[in-house]
Amino acid sequence: MSRKKIAIFGYGNHGKYLAQGLHRDGFDITIIESDKTFYKDAKSDGFEDVHLLDVTRDSELTGKIDFGEYAQLVCVMDDEHLNVFLTLSLSSLYKDSYILAISDSVNVTKKLKMAGASKVIDLYDVSANKIYNILDKPVATRLLEEFVVNRKGITFKEMLIPEGSFLDQMMVDDVNFSKYGVLFIGMIDEEKAHSFIFVTAGLEHKLDAGDTIVCLGEKEHLNAFARLIKKSKDDISIEAKI
Amino acid sequence: MNRLIVYFALLLYHSRRYKKAKQFARDLLFDQNNIYKKYFDLTIIFLVITSVFILIYEVKHEVPRWLDNYDIYFVSIVFAIEYMLRLWVHNDLSVMIINEYNDAKFLGKDFNVFRVLKKGLYQKLKYMITPSAIVDLLAILPAYRPLRILRVFILFRVFKLLRYTKSINQFVDVITTKKFELLTLLFLLFFIVFTSGIAIYILEADKNPHIHTLFDGIYWAVVTVATVGYGDIAPVTDVGRAISILIIISGIAMISFVTSIIVSAFSERLYEIKEHKVVTELNKSRSFLVICGYGQLTKMFLRQNRKNIDNHVIIDNNLQRVIEAKKSGYVAIHDNASSYATMSKFDAENSDITVLALTASDVENIYIALNVRSISRKIRLVGRVNDPENIDKFRHAGVDEILIPNIVANTMVYTAITQPTMYKAIHAILTGKGVANIDEIHVHQSHGIAGRAIKELHFKESKLLFIGIQREKEFIFNPPSSEIIQPHDILLVMGRKISLDYFKSIHKGNINV
Repeated sequence: MSRKKIAIFGYGNHGKYLAQGLHRDGFDITIIESDKTFYKDAKSDGFEDVHLLDVTRDSELTGKIDFGEYAQLVCVMDDEHLNVFLTLSLSSLYKDSYILAISDSVNVTKKLKMAGASKVIDLYDVSANKIYNILDKPVATRLLEEFVVNRKGITFKEMLIPEGSFLDQMMVDDVNFSKYGVLFIGMIDEEKAHSFIFVTAGLEHKLDAGDTIVCLGEKEHLNAFARLIKKSKDDISIEAKI
Repeated sequence: MNRLIVYFALLLYHSRRYKKAKQFARDLLFDQNNIYKKYFDLTIIFLVITSVFILIYEVKHEVPRWLDNYDIYFVSIVFAIEYMLRLWVHNDLSVMIINEYNDAKFLGKDFNVFRVLKKGLYQKLKYMITPSAIVDLLAILPAYRPLRILRVFILFRVFKLLRYTKSINQFVDVITTKKFELLTLLFLLFFIVFTSGIAIYILEADKNPHIHTLFDGIYWAVVTVATVGYGDIAPVTDVGRAISILIIISGIAMISFVTSIIVSAFSERLYEIKEHKVVTELNKSRSFLVICGYGQLTKMFLRQNRKNIDNHVIIDNNLQRVIEAKKSGYVAIHDNASSYATMSKFDAENSDITVLALTASDVENIYIALNVRSISRKIRLVGRVNDPENIDKFRHAGVDEILIPNIVANTMVYTAITQPTMYKAIHAILTGKGVANIDEIHVHQSHGIAGRAIKELHFKESKLLFIGIQREKEFIFNPPSSEIIQPHDILLVMGRKISLDYFKSIHKGNINV
């Protein structure tokens, strides 16, 4: 995976968890805080790219760092008022940026969307959903959560089909994914307006170079499969002969 | 004599058949869950109604002999048997005698069977003078033919119906809470009626042609104080009229007093009665959710309006929030979910209950969890944890499923950052919206798919993605297609809802149990 630059605003409840997880997974992160205590926390937790900025001032947000370069701006300040204000500032300063924000109530979600956040994750919305899932399908919920959170074992992975891959131009039904120890869950079809299509939707799909496929499987199998799809049909048949 | 009675009591004490019979009678009369009770009740109600109908018909018509016999003998005998049964099951004389005998033997003191018999019979007598027992007895009396006046007692049979209506019991309950106030007023009423009755008798007995006896005076006072005023007796002297004015005014005051006392008693208890009704309805439904706390999370949870949570009740100890919940159209009770009295109202033995402890305080949630666990191990518990440090405590308190909103949200944010394209997919799977449902198929012992190989189930043709099997504690990911499905396996399958439903219908199993 390419090293994406991600800016995390806030090192409180959520920021801390995210920063540590992202750091572990090898992302290039920048932490911005307006609170001195949290700033010191981040420093003492070993992060180097930490900045103490007054996020209410545009000059601070445009001065030292050019946030336009970042792949994602994540607004997870503990103070919800500040979080909405920050989202608004960032969306007006960096119009093309992808801004992700967290919200802890329906009203705040609305405000964040109006302020220009690209995606808002509502704390209670996702939790409420989870209660349903626990009541409805406890085993599936637990397993799925493990798949999502796991860094080892069974997990999801998205892979880009490169130019010249043996998968290019093949029909989904003709590929035996099980042979590689992975399950094909779905894909993002560039031909069909960048929409996510689940394998169970029941449509015949042709894989093209540039499509992103999502698979489920053991981490090692997934990594092996990701390496494999870079190869062409000829490479594979040659390897098979050897 | 002593020995004979003890011997007889011992015989009954050890007779399994006697005990069984007594228990059956007890269940038939009192146990709401007894299957025969309904028929028994209906029979009694039928007998009462026919009996009263015959009484009315009799006034102007000749009643056929068989119908008369039915009324006099059959109905009365059934009622007599019922009365005896109630008296019989009221207490256990044999058990009392044996216990007393054992105690006496243990202490080495003299055993007097009559003392304990007296005690037991006294208990029975005490039962006999309760209003419902008196009504039962009066309902049997009309069987005695020589006294024609006893026919009117058939009307007492109607009172027997009261036993079968809960609302009357509640009414009596409510009235008894205001016993003191009502008795005081009753006393005052007696005072007014008697003094004015006597006064009018003294003042007008020789002047008023309608007043001859003291009873006339008291009758006049009652008719006047009740503001009925038939007018058959009216005061003729000025002093008599002055007394009339006084008792009419005090009569109005008295009636409005009584009304207001009863109304206020009801409005005080109305909430309790309503709440009782909610709980009874839930217990009848056999499967329901109890949601503790009406905060952000609960609101969000209920707002989704999914089908599978029809029966639920919200419990919150904050009145403001309960009012808010009711305004939003939810069933809510203002009570303390961490109190034993509140939670033990729910019938955990016969119902499938899930308790969601969703308050914003971990202390409160743990307390609710412990309280629920102290009532039953059968209840399913989902607990909200706000501080991850407390997870162990929740596990210790017996919470089945733990929900940590912060972590759930963090995971979602994390997925959204690291795998943005997949976030949509996972979100869709988690919310169960759209084409991607992940579901579990519980394979029961007698399930159609137990013992079959995975390839025989044709998941692919059913447009389903088979992910794996949860077998005991282990998850087998994507097992080979020759793998045989065993009873108690849980299959993890993904697909559209219609595909899952179709699969369920052809395999006659239960998806999503």
